[in-house]
Amino acid sequence: MPALLAAVLLALYLWVGSQTLDSIERARVNLDFILSATSRHVQLTVVSTVLVLLIAIPTGVLLTRSFARRISPPTIAVFNIGVAIPSIGLLALFSVVWDIGFWPAVLALVAYSALPVLRNTMVGLQQVDPTVIESARGMGMSKLGVLARIELPLAVPVILAGVRTALVINVGTAALATFINGGGLGEIIITGIGQNRQLVTVVGAVLTAVLALLIDYLAGLAEDFLRPRGL
Amino acid sequence: MSEFISYLESHWDDLLELGIAHALVVAVSVAIATVIGVALGIATYRTERPRELVLAITGFFLTIPSLALFGLLISPLGLGWPPVAVALVMYALLPIVRNTVVGLREVDPAIVESAQGMGMGRARRLLRIELPLAWPVIMTGMRVSTVIVVGIAAIGAYVNGPGLGEDIFRGLRRIGNPETALNLVLGGLLGIVVLAILFDLVYVLLSRLTTSRGIR
Amino acid sequence: MTIKIRLENLTKRFPGEREPAVDSLSMEIPEGEIVILVGPSGCGKTTTMKLINRLIEPTSGRIFLEDEDVTKVDPDGLRRRIGYVIQQIGLFPHMTIYENIATVPKLLGWNRAQISARVDELLTTIGMDPATYRSRYPKELSGGQRQRVGVARAMSADPDVMLMDEPFGAIDPITRDRLQNEFLRIQSEIKKTIVFVTHDIDEAIKMGDRIAILRDHSHIAQYDTPEAILVDPADDFVAEFIGRGAGLKRLNLSRVNDIEMSECATVQAGADRDEVRRALGETDRCVLVLDEQRRPRRWVNADHLELVGGRSLTEIGLPADAVVRPYSTLSDTLNEMLVADYATAIVVGDDGVYQGVIDIDTINEAVRGMRAAERSRLADRLGEGG
Repeated sequence: MPALLAAVLLALYLWVGSQTLDSIERARVNLDFILSATSRHVQLTVVSTVLVLLIAIPTGVLLTRSFARRISPPTIAVFNIGVAIPSIGLLALFSVVWDIGFWPAVLALVAYSALPVLRNTMVGLQQVDPTVIESARGMGMSKLGVLARIELPLAVPVILAGVRTALVINVGTAALATFINGGGLGEIIITGIGQNRQLVTVVGAVLTAVLALLIDYLAGLAEDFLRPRGL
Repeated sequence: MSEFISYLESHWDDLLELGIAHALVVAVSVAIATVIGVALGIATYRTERPRELVLAITGFFLTIPSLALFGLLISPLGLGWPPVAVALVMYALLPIVRNTVVGLREVDPAIVESAQGMGMGRARRLLRIELPLAWPVIMTGMRVSTVIVVGIAAIGAYVNGPGLGEDIFRGLRRIGNPETALNLVLGGLLGIVVLAILFDLVYVLLSRLTTSRGIR
Repeated sequence: MTIKIRLENLTKRFPGEREPAVDSLSMEIPEGEIVILVGPSGCGKTTTMKLINRLIEPTSGRIFLEDEDVTKVDPDGLRRRIGYVIQQIGLFPHMTIYENIATVPKLLGWNRAQISARVDELLTTIGMDPATYRSRYPKELSGGQRQRVGVARAMSADPDVMLMDEPFGAIDPITRDRLQNEFLRIQSEIKKTIVFVTHDIDEAIKMGDRIAILRDHSHIAQYDTPEAILVDPADDFVAEFIGRGAGLKRLNLSRVNDIEMSECATVQAGADRDEVRRALGETDRCVLVLDEQRRPRRWVNADHLELVGGRSLTEIGLPADAVVRPYSTLSDTLNEMLVADYATAIVVGDDGVYQGVIDIDTINEAVRGMRAAERSRLADRLGEGG
């Protein structure tokens, strides 16, 4: 995968190098701008994903505790409707009712991508073999001990899959952050589309796609690395 | 709140029109994706290498951010319906292919063998036994695809695609006028949510009508 | 006899259920014995067991562990003092065998060297080489090995009391038999107090020092030694639960060395015909031919000697089948006889050397004797009570 992505970037570089650029094109297709847009894009993705982890995993844990057994089905039903909200609509809503810029974009990303992590945390915890939990309790582990040493480690593969999904969603949705002045690689794409400069559009689109695929690839590596052995 | 309701009353026709266009592009895309996806699933579910290749490629599509894909598609296809429909088909493929493969592979081999033992040929077995048994799983894939595609279609409005995304982008352009902007954005957003729920109901109905009562 | 566990009017009502699952159960469990809770499914035996380590909290009643009322103590601390094995074993799949067994010692704050030594000791006890198995994961073990590790894990902190819920239930019959024997061997050394739940009366008879037969709501139908229950079932429920095979099941309770062996005529394989005839004497019975190491070879009678002229003694007569050991159960002995179609079984030591014979009448007499002895013991007990 990394080789393929590098080849795509090289091809893009050679193709752009063979073209003569006008001033609009030069304003977007230059190394400085590309690097700052990329770093902004990565910031949007990473910050929102970290926030998602901090919010969704504890919430998922709480919703699977025995005291929450009553409220968890309706909560999940509400969340399932939430999946239908379009990402661009959420960004637009945040910008209209709050503000434009980096943080509204981040929070819109969080709201949009928290669901898969939350759902996978709950599913991951619920699918832990109840007899394993019973034997841990029977050996005198406290509830917190069972959660930390048995349930969460056993749920890790499923939770990680959710985190990877959230990362991919975030890197894709971060491309839309530019619509509310949040920056990122989407800025290059919409300049190209808006100013009718195909070269700019293609550069922005290819860079965004390459970044998304790279992040997905790295998340896949992390997933393999973090999965507990023995499973 | 009351302002939004009066906005809805006065713009009902526009919203309905956009909603129908939105539903249409989604339905067409999912239909095309189903034909392609089920065909790919049937062609590859028995052989490991091609199956994994098809799943990897369709998974690769789903990883490409939508704005980037639209950007790449407008060069060859221009603005409007075509790039949006093509992109939506690409996004809808993975869940359908994957569920077709899973559904077909989950069919009890004993059933297939007994069909074979009764003298059913390969094609007849597929059509009369395997596909009907896998159908509920395939439908679930279509349902997942539809939810994904309904949301992405909204972004298609930026490249002049049809649908409720148009109101969301109009709202974004009027951000200086928060009231109008909010009405436009909320109208588009809620319209899409309602549409997604309606699609879900259609799937419930469809699965009742098309799934054998024996396996429901 | 010291009482290790005492249950006093223990009751459990689950919310939303009209009838209590366990209804005012009182029983005493003696130290160092295996007490079996057995009964039809739904009788509350598993619930009863889980009340003891308070995985299920009792609605009312009290639990005493060595005269200490543990009904209200910290349940986690209580459970660390009690070994626990369930049918599904519940090994932690993400932990190695070492980490699984080390769980409770770690909770109790043992130091690393202590834990390591203890794990190795336990693995050796259950017949699994520590060097090979310490760092394996549960999925890399067979079902029988996992069950052994489950038992080792329950014994890790050397608890006095162990609770076992159908521990051999999910294992194939041959492995189950081996694990049961292995467990009985270990128990004869460690002498834990064990509460053991099963629905299988044969397992109960084999494993139990004492059996509590439970009916609905964990009411005790009979609580006694296996012998007493088999000889004198308290009521129709118990009799039916034991089943029609009670007489045969009794044969599982005594072993060959519990009853008197008889001698039969023997000759060495090299003996001549006259010697054999002398050994046979006037009877029409058989003589047992032994080889130089005194291991049984053939059964020979007078007719065999007449029929075949010059052949050696190890080539004529019938093969000396139906061979049992001193510790074989009478049930196994009878089975050997039926398989070989002889009325006599030969008893040999572990070295294969002839010790004596048992015939079918001896077994019959033994059973009759057992029944009489049990009857008089019961009569004594009733007399004392009255």
